[in-house]
Amino acid sequence: MKITLTVNDEVHPLEVEPRRVLADVLREDCRLTGTHLGCEHGVCGACTVLVDGRAVRSCLMLAVQCDGRSVRTVEGLRGPGGEPHPLQRAFSAEHALQCGFCTPGFLMVAAGALAADPTIGEDPDRVRALVESNICRCTGYEPIRRAIVRGSCPGSVA
Amino acid sequence: MWSRREDERLLTGGGRYVADLVVPGCLDAVFVRSGVAHGVLSAVDCSEARRVAGVVGAWSAADFPSGLHVPYTPSAGLSAEEAVAGREWPALVKERVRYPGEAVAVVVGEDRYRAEDGAAEVAFQVGPLPAVVTPRAAADDSVRLFDGLSNVAFQGAAGEPIEESVWRRAAVVVEAEYRQQLLMPTPMECRTILAVPGGDRLTVWSGHQAPHRLRGQLAALLGWPVDRIRVVAPDTGGAFGSKSAIFPEYVVVVFLAVLLGRPVRWIEDRMESMLTATRGRGQDQRVRLAADADGQLLAYELTIDADVGAYPHLGAGLPMQTARMATGPYRTPRVYATVRSVLTNTMATYPYRGAGRPEATIALERSMDALARRLRIDPAELRRRNLLPPESFPYRTPTGRVYDSGDYGAALDLALETLDYAGWRAEQARRRGDPSALPLGIGLSCYVERSGGEPGGLHEFAGVEAREDGTVIARCGSASSGQGHETTFSALVAEELGVDQVRVELVEGDTDELPDGVGSFASRSAQVAGAALRQACELLVQEARARAAGLWGLPVAEVAWSGGAVSPARGGAAMDLGELVKATGPLRVEDRFESDMGFPFGAHAAVAEVDPELGTVRVLRLVAVDDCGVVLNPMIVKGQAFGSAVQGLGQALYEGIPFDDDGVPRLANGLLDYLVPTAAEIPPITVKDTCTPSPGTPLGAKGAGESGCIGTPAAIVNAVADALRLADPGVLRMPLTPDVVWRAAR
Ligand code: FES
Ligand code: FES
Repeated sequence: MKITLTVNDEVHPLEVEPRRVLADVLREDCRLTGTHLGCEHGVCGACTVLVDGRAVRSCLMLAVQCDGRSVRTVEGLRGPGGEPHPLQRAFSAEHALQCGFCTPGFLMVAAGALAADPTIGEDPDRVRALVESNICRCTGYEPIRRAIVRGSCPGSVA
Repeated sequence: MWSRREDERLLTGGGRYVADLVVPGCLDAVFVRSGVAHGVLSAVDCSEARRVAGVVGAWSAADFPSGLHVPYTPSAGLSAEEAVAGREWPALVKERVRYPGEAVAVVVGEDRYRAEDGAAEVAFQVGPLPAVVTPRAAADDSVRLFDGLSNVAFQGAAGEPIEESVWRRAAVVVEAEYRQQLLMPTPMECRTILAVPGGDRLTVWSGHQAPHRLRGQLAALLGWPVDRIRVVAPDTGGAFGSKSAIFPEYVVVVFLAVLLGRPVRWIEDRMESMLTATRGRGQDQRVRLAADADGQLLAYELTIDADVGAYPHLGAGLPMQTARMATGPYRTPRVYATVRSVLTNTMATYPYRGAGRPEATIALERSMDALARRLRIDPAELRRRNLLPPESFPYRTPTGRVYDSGDYGAALDLALETLDYAGWRAEQARRRGDPSALPLGIGLSCYVERSGGEPGGLHEFAGVEAREDGTVIARCGSASSGQGHETTFSALVAEELGVDQVRVELVEGDTDELPDGVGSFASRSAQVAGAALRQACELLVQEARARAAGLWGLPVAEVAWSGGAVSPARGGAAMDLGELVKATGPLRVEDRFESDMGFPFGAHAAVAEVDPELGTVRVLRLVAVDDCGVVLNPMIVKGQAFGSAVQGLGQALYEGIPFDDDGVPRLANGLLDYLVPTAAEIPPITVKDTCTPSPGTPLGAKGAGESGCIGTPAAIVNAVADALRLADPGVLRMPLTPDVVWRAAR
């Protein structure tokens, strides 16, 4: 089936089998391997990307469902001049990653929430809820929570 | 701008894990697995699968050479010839299925979807046999995994048997039984292997902790010299011990890549890992702990029936780690520990973060709290009376370890102070007088562990190379799976040589870069590889001074070294390393370094509130004080301590593998059934450290990274037992689910 995905502002005309999940198409057809698969059953959130600005588990969505829609992955998080997203800097500053496998998913969950509401970092409960949505086996989460606060309130240190 | 060297690529989608590598023409392997735990396989038929579009081939054991087996792991005594004799582990099931998920066939397709289409068409039957899933059930041999052979695959002991009179004469003897449940290490990236043939060589990419070991095993398997195989561990998405072995799937993938002359990969998915990834822990333990009326420990006996899974190849000897560490941090004069490693119908057990030391610490520390209750001595005071004092080192334990250094009391005191122990005891007393308050308990756990590895594996290889452009390449035999080696080791080398960090690059996890290597496990990288790198730097400096001496016609003693440059000691222009290389040719040193074992230690403390009606546990505070000697990178070590404490919390409260009567784990919903902690489960945790350098390593560093799995679980379980004032500590079987706690509270 022919579909068109706009990924990180770039248009990808694709021929895909209807059964292929979005994560596989992003990783293999678009060669954007920053989106990781940690469970393939919707629990870990490592595969999170933004579809029309909303965070989705790309292992649970078919690529054909995204025909004509816009997708943002971790590769598209940097600013137009190539400067890192504040969340990317904050994750590094807070040691919010170790092996880095879960990291793109947490970044995209947070980036989506932050784009929808720039004040989210000021509400500890909402930040906590964001961190609770994904799994990280390395860090113990607290550094991720601090990084999201730091990355969403420039100048703040949680 | 980035805290770690690794960060920029990992934060921008530039990481390269095995599944991300693009190899033209690469085929995907998918395994067809038994849904039955134990049974007789018949009628495997791959013919339909071979007809599926996009399927390149399908194989069962009958299509393979009959000798295609999984080799056993002799390193660190993990397994032994005696344990595996007569018990072969075929790469694909021949006639007997011994664990659920064991592979009966493999299908290779042009992509994963095609291979799975084919796998769905493989027909086979398994006639079920009774399954045994605990060592207790398996030890009597009423169900045998290997006909004519006992399920007991290995036995061992540490220490000397204790006479009955010691127990008879003691004022108090605590007796208890504990179950250390099976756990899954659960790195977020499952196992991966990609085998690429080219010329007369094979390149194998795998998220792996010990690339040189894997190279040796694959070479033996193929009957090739090691130099025809290159193993590379690229970015690896966590390991926690579980990625240092060779597995049946790896054997199959490598064999097929060579057979087909094409690249083949296997990217394990989470659902198959639920059945077939290695498990950790798995011990049924009995303890006796004797003390006099003042609480002086007299004797401790630990009897272990260990679950080693269906094949003894990976971890039959691992429970000896528990036996050897049974003494713990106390000066108990008599300690005796015995091990029986028993085969069961589960995937093999293997090191999981802590690897034998959590099982030792949890048994002893739960018994210490029970003893304190029996004697009505405060548990902190009981420990103080028995901890080895700082002047006792080096200390040879009754179970044969030689502890290097420590101030165990200082770690305990810092933990108590950080927790506000007295304040929480007061709150506990208040609640005990208030019928409407939920009971609260405080739990302590003092531990000592071993890092670096076992004799025969306490070494590492390292190399340092100076280049004309002034850069320095450092190489070592470790492989990082999230511990930030590029950051820490580059900084270490830069400091040793006195050059700017940006000039140093670390290359590791690639067997073509260094002739030999050991790897990253047993908390050994900083302690052993770090020291190896330092020694290599010293050799490089010696060589640089010798060359400069030759160049300038001076005795070596008159060539000074500072800030990455040589200079005539009596004055004259300095020459930078890069210049020296230009003048004298390539400069590269390689080196093997051997360390002693290190014995990190610490004290963890937890406060928990229990709802006896609901069986729920709320951890209110957790304090972890760890001492791993000299720390190379405090932020990274702190991150390791914090992350491992959370894994320890998971072990105490959430993680476990429930089995159906037919021996099949009830994990059909994957990570919704196997409960690794999420952020919702994290209590306030404070991580602190004390520093007692190791005298046995040049950097003074001991291993870091496993402390939380070792120290935290007993602190939490003890807090719950304290809240409920349990006389028999054994009724709390981990994980402390609401069901377990509710029953214990009756
Ligand atoms: S891979 Fe999609 S949620 Fe885990
Ligand atoms: S950093 Fe390894 S899983 Fe989160």
